[in-house]
Amino acid sequence: MAESYSDTPTTTDESTRNRLLNDETLRRIGVAIAGLFTLAVGVFLAYIVFFRVDPALLVQVVYPQFTDAFLTVLRVVVIGSVCSVAAGVVVGLGRVSRTRFTRTVATGYIEFFRGTPLLFQLIVIFFGIPALWPPGEFPIGNFAFVAAVIGLTLNHAAYIGEAIRGGIEAVPSGQMEAARSLGLSYIQSMREVVLPQAWRNALAAIGNDQVILVKDTSLLTVIAVPELISAFRDVNSTNFDPWTPIVLVAIAYLMITIPLGKIVSYLERRADPAGRSES
Amino acid sequence: MNSDSSTDTDADADSGTDAGSSTDTTGTASASHLVEFEHVDKYFGETHVLKDVTLDVDDREVLVVIGPSGSGKSTLLRCANRLEEIQSGEIRLGGQSISASDADVNRLRQRIGMVFQSFNLFPHKSALENVTLGPRKVKGLSGEDATERARDLLERVGLAEQAESYPGQLSGGQQQRVAIARALAMDPQVMLFDEVTSALDPELVGEVLEVMRDLAEEGMTMLVVTHEMGFAREVGDRIVLMADGRLVEDTTPRRFFDQPDTERGQRFLQRLL
Repeated sequence: MAESYSDTPTTTDESTRNRLLNDETLRRIGVAIAGLFTLAVGVFLAYIVFFRVDPALLVQVVYPQFTDAFLTVLRVVVIGSVCSVAAGVVVGLGRVSRTRFTRTVATGYIEFFRGTPLLFQLIVIFFGIPALWPPGEFPIGNFAFVAAVIGLTLNHAAYIGEAIRGGIEAVPSGQMEAARSLGLSYIQSMREVVLPQAWRNALAAIGNDQVILVKDTSLLTVIAVPELISAFRDVNSTNFDPWTPIVLVAIAYLMITIPLGKIVSYLERRADPAGRSES
Repeated sequence: MNSDSSTDTDADADSGTDAGSSTDTTGTASASHLVEFEHVDKYFGETHVLKDVTLDVDDREVLVVIGPSGSGKSTLLRCANRLEEIQSGEIRLGGQSISASDADVNRLRQRIGMVFQSFNLFPHKSALENVTLGPRKVKGLSGEDATERARDLLERVGLAEQAESYPGQLSGGQQQRVAIARALAMDPQVMLFDEVTSALDPELVGEVLEVMRDLAEEGMTMLVVTHEMGFAREVGDRIVLMADGRLVEDTTPRRFFDQPDTERGQRFLQRLL
């Protein structure tokens, strides 16, 4: 943009003189804001780490308590991730079904699970479902973990389903026609031709959703899953020291979300063989 | 091609003759008609796009369909392998109905190769994988057999060197030749060409027409929708002119280009010149 303006000297001179903000000034303001922000965050973090975090307490709670909480979250995330993507593909296929009934059911599913809070859905599953049995007879032990996986799967399958639907609709209809005209069935055409391309189209949205899924595990504290927020509350209420566990919680979440982002961008690169983006 | 299909694909040949004999009893098909359109009507909503079309294509015949845009040529072709449904009439391949509601479409489509105006190559697969997909998934060929055959076909369309390239790395003409190889890999009895050079830069048209000319010489049955009148005149055995969803002229290329029988044909030719 800058070049194209400087190609027309009269207007450039005019606008540089008349405007308060020219390109160079804008750049300097940007650097200044970023610098101030970095400084403020750095000072704050240094203060927290050196004056508020209690090293003795940190060592005491990092293992086993926070390690266990971290591993619990990781387990929920891995299982929830796989299940929600698998279920999301089913929902997405339902959304593009040629049968109106199937389409309507898939749409209704998405409306419900996107239209009510995940916290509400977790409450329905964890408190509502066992209450359908006579007291003490509900058959699933450690139901909190199971309910967590089910809740996250059902909720995120709705979002992933929409991402997959968008991905499928972005594949030109000629792709399905070419596959069908070779004699491939609808399922074969979907699997071999349409879905691999739809997957590539939907990958950024799916990755985004999976990062949100990681953070959504914080809601599991209300259904008694021993995850990171619960660990924070335990440590804070017994030691009256919020900052030591806060730092651990932050590190634990970032240890999952940052590698997850890397995995998604690796998958995006892998799904894009040479020259493909041009066609 | 023909020698291939008689030796390689016994199953296909069998089903073809079965179908032929079964229709003989109903007395509709004569043995030499490979593709038959019988009183076909097709609507898009209110629009009547094919009007009572009756047309037979003989084995080893190259039938060229021409006509102004919007005349229904492409629709006719797309109905022939049931990418479009027809509302009345019947379309048969080797005497077997492909338009019937209980037709085994996946099976019948294996015997019909289709090449599209916009190539429709699978962009996430290499040229070779584009060609092997059908034989592997539909005919159940092993990877090795399918690959060997695909390499032969790519060589035949002059693209042996480009086997590992992805569609996005190939020119339009190369992509279209891969698309032809992909269709041929199923050993079809008839090939449908839907304006296959219309999306190409002018200098790339020749290489695609050359491949089609070779195919015609080898005796492939072909239905060709095209605006390439040179090709129609040289390669076509028969020319059909469509206008407003009807067949208005059905004649030989020589006769059509010298002196069309109908006034529609004369006007169409005049517009070209």
